[in-house]
Amino acid sequence: MKQVRSLIEKTIHILDNRIRNIRNEGAEEMNEPGQPLISIRDLRMKFENKYVLNGIDLEVYPGQIIGYIGPNGAGKSTTVKIMLGLVEGYDGEVRVLGQSPKDGAVDYKRRIGYVPEIAEMYDTLTAREYLTFIGELYGMTAEDAEWKGRRLLEQLGLGHALDTRIATYSKGMKQKVLITSSLLHNPDILFLDEPLSGLDANSVMVVKELLAILAANGKTIFYSSHIMEVVEKISSRIILLDGGRIVADGTFEELKDRSQEGSLEQIFNQLTGFNEHRAIAEQFVSIVQEV
Amino acid sequence: MKNYKSLLVLDRFRGLFEKAGVDYAVLRRILQVKLMMDARRVPSFMSKNRKHADRQEAKESNNFLGSLWIYGIFGAFSTPFILLGDNYIFQMSLLFGIFMFMTLTALISDFSSVLLDIRDRNILGTKPIDSRTISMAKTVHVFIYMLFLTGAIGIIPLVVGLLNHGVLFFAVFLLMLILMDLLVLVLTAMLYLAVLRFFDGEKLKDMINYVQIGFTIVITIGYQLLIRLFDFVNLDVAFQPKWWQAMIAPIWFGAPFEVLLKGSRDPLYIVFTLLGILVPILAIAIYIKLMPSLERNLQKLADPGERSGKGGGGWKRFLARLLPVGRQEKAFFRFAWTMIGHEREFKLKVYPTLGFSLIFPFIFIFTQLRDVGLKGLQGTKLYLFIYFCALLVPTIIMMLRYSGRHKAAWIYHTAPIAERSAIYRGTVLAALIRLVLPIYILESVTFVLLFGAAIIPDLIVFGLAITLYPVISFAYLSKALPFSEPFEVAQQSEGMRIIPLLLLLGVFGLVHLGATFVSYGVYIYGVILLILNTVTWRRAFSSSAVK
Repeated sequence: MKQVRSLIEKTIHILDNRIRNIRNEGAEEMNEPGQPLISIRDLRMKFENKYVLNGIDLEVYPGQIIGYIGPNGAGKSTTVKIMLGLVEGYDGEVRVLGQSPKDGAVDYKRRIGYVPEIAEMYDTLTAREYLTFIGELYGMTAEDAEWKGRRLLEQLGLGHALDTRIATYSKGMKQKVLITSSLLHNPDILFLDEPLSGLDANSVMVVKELLAILAANGKTIFYSSHIMEVVEKISSRIILLDGGRIVADGTFEELKDRSQEGSLEQIFNQLTGFNEHRAIAEQFVSIVQEV
Repeated sequence: MKNYKSLLVLDRFRGLFEKAGVDYAVLRRILQVKLMMDARRVPSFMSKNRKHADRQEAKESNNFLGSLWIYGIFGAFSTPFILLGDNYIFQMSLLFGIFMFMTLTALISDFSSVLLDIRDRNILGTKPIDSRTISMAKTVHVFIYMLFLTGAIGIIPLVVGLLNHGVLFFAVFLLMLILMDLLVLVLTAMLYLAVLRFFDGEKLKDMINYVQIGFTIVITIGYQLLIRLFDFVNLDVAFQPKWWQAMIAPIWFGAPFEVLLKGSRDPLYIVFTLLGILVPILAIAIYIKLMPSLERNLQKLADPGERSGKGGGGWKRFLARLLPVGRQEKAFFRFAWTMIGHEREFKLKVYPTLGFSLIFPFIFIFTQLRDVGLKGLQGTKLYLFIYFCALLVPTIIMMLRYSGRHKAAWIYHTAPIAERSAIYRGTVLAALIRLVLPIYILESVTFVLLFGAAIIPDLIVFGLAITLYPVISFAYLSKALPFSEPFEVAQQSEGMRIIPLLLLLGVFGLVHLGATFVSYGVYIYGVILLILNTVTWRRAFSSSAVK
């Protein structure tokens, strides 16, 4: 058992390096882009007389892992929801895979996978039933979807729970099903909103690796998260959103050069103009200890 | 995967759906999954308790279908309208009036959750399915249940109609029922669409609650009025069709019986008939056009509403300060007070009873009114009908243990709460003051106006009874922590457990009636109730803290 594991780890390690190389190549290619998969021009969105998006311009090319970050309420989810056609009534131009969600087109969704922030699923279904259903919605046959879904879940160590209702799953198990359901149909673009939430350390490694390999294979990944360490490590391009505007866009190195800070977390703090964390923490503790 | 019979029937209309631009294969698949999920709603929770039982297909039974028999009984009650004679326009319009009310209420209380499901948006909306198919799936899903519901209500009247008035009658009846269902469904959806367009999601959710109260009251009164109508009106009186009757939808469905069965050629009847056939079809057509817009507006439900409840709860804090109870009781009083106000499903279950409680005392007095007249009320003992306004107490107490967020109940176990009785006492107090007290005050004031100030001592004694009643209900019913169980486990049989409590309420009333015949009887009764109150409020909760 142990041998097998070390063998696997070695393989992963080798793969890892290879992927990193490929990814770097991919990053260089970025400089001479072909056709963008996603292009957003002057995107504005208003909720109840308040602008949550104030003119977003963005082009995304194949093979990029985009870390899409920003403080709460910066407009991250809204952007993603607009691209998926969940939120309408925006101003500006949005084209995903050549189609605009505004036209009511749905074909482009065939090539998109989505992991929402809140694990919303039909949880009275079993994982097998859920994955089969989702696969079918993406146009797969029931047999293909089930066969593929089963093998994928087995890879994530959920083979034993295939016929258990999702409602009884732990948070991490649900997350694995969500991730699997977003990949069943082999999409070209992945929208991931906190995809690692609830996963244990080992699964986190698997998923991070998985994303790297997918990107190396030319998939585009749109990754929103609040965990800066992860974003820093896996992203080939980082987009920082604040107050409905893009305040930074580039590789981690570029961002570092620009702001002269060491970690993405610090860059984040600097660019969003937040520097009183120490003071707030002290204040907080002093209130805690009042009693 | 189960192949549901309703889907096999649906298959016959495949062509129709495809003509409307719906991807039938996907539609069918979504419906299949939805029906399967409905069937599982309850067992999924139960299987959690039984180890490994969830591995096997737990017994799947649709809760809704199991409760259809109640509607069957309602239907049976309305059968006399068919038998009364052959003044079809009159009888059938009334019948359709009743049916429309029943289906409309059922739709609003039971199926709003389906129409307003926002999970669908995240799960289905992100898939390559056009919005028309998604909304159609939703509509058909609700419509399948409506057909079951109408089937249950209509089965006995249909059979009676077939035996009494023949095949043609039966056919017209059936067709009109289906058209009525379509109309009712579209009306509800349009109402939601309108509310969603102009207000935010929170408003809509509140509206549903108020609509429910309104409906229960309207239906109860409507029923009473209908019955009264038949006392006075001679059924043979010729019904005069007038143009303004075109505004009354049930007439549309009654008119075809006159035209097709009696051969009436009155142009107005023909117009009504055409309305009955064309309006539902037209409505469905418009609805299909508008449905994507409803779906889009549904997103509002997902967005956090702009609740301006700044601080708020002045009453809550004020009352909590006044109450002669400990600190933990006060904490739970405030907590339960807020929960009762916010817990959507709690309100959905309780508010209809609230409507009944408000209206019932008056209904009974109204029944007697014809004999004594408004002036004659004073001096009678009819005011004792006020006991009916405590009808809602057992339901409230029963529902207090459920919550849509039952899992948050871990807080009871991790917080250092020494005495569970504090939880119970605070919660029951909050329910009593927030839900029962306003009704009590409202009814008392009205009753004093009707019966004169002489009944004030009686009303105070009733007040003592109504404070005792929740404690007894609590001790008898639930010993579970408040807001700690999912609504799905609320079983039909629970409703049956209430019946002894309702009888007890009758006993309270009867003892009161008896006491009025003894001099100072009411005062003695009052003192006894007062003593019982002090004892039970002190004891009942701690002894019940077993779990």
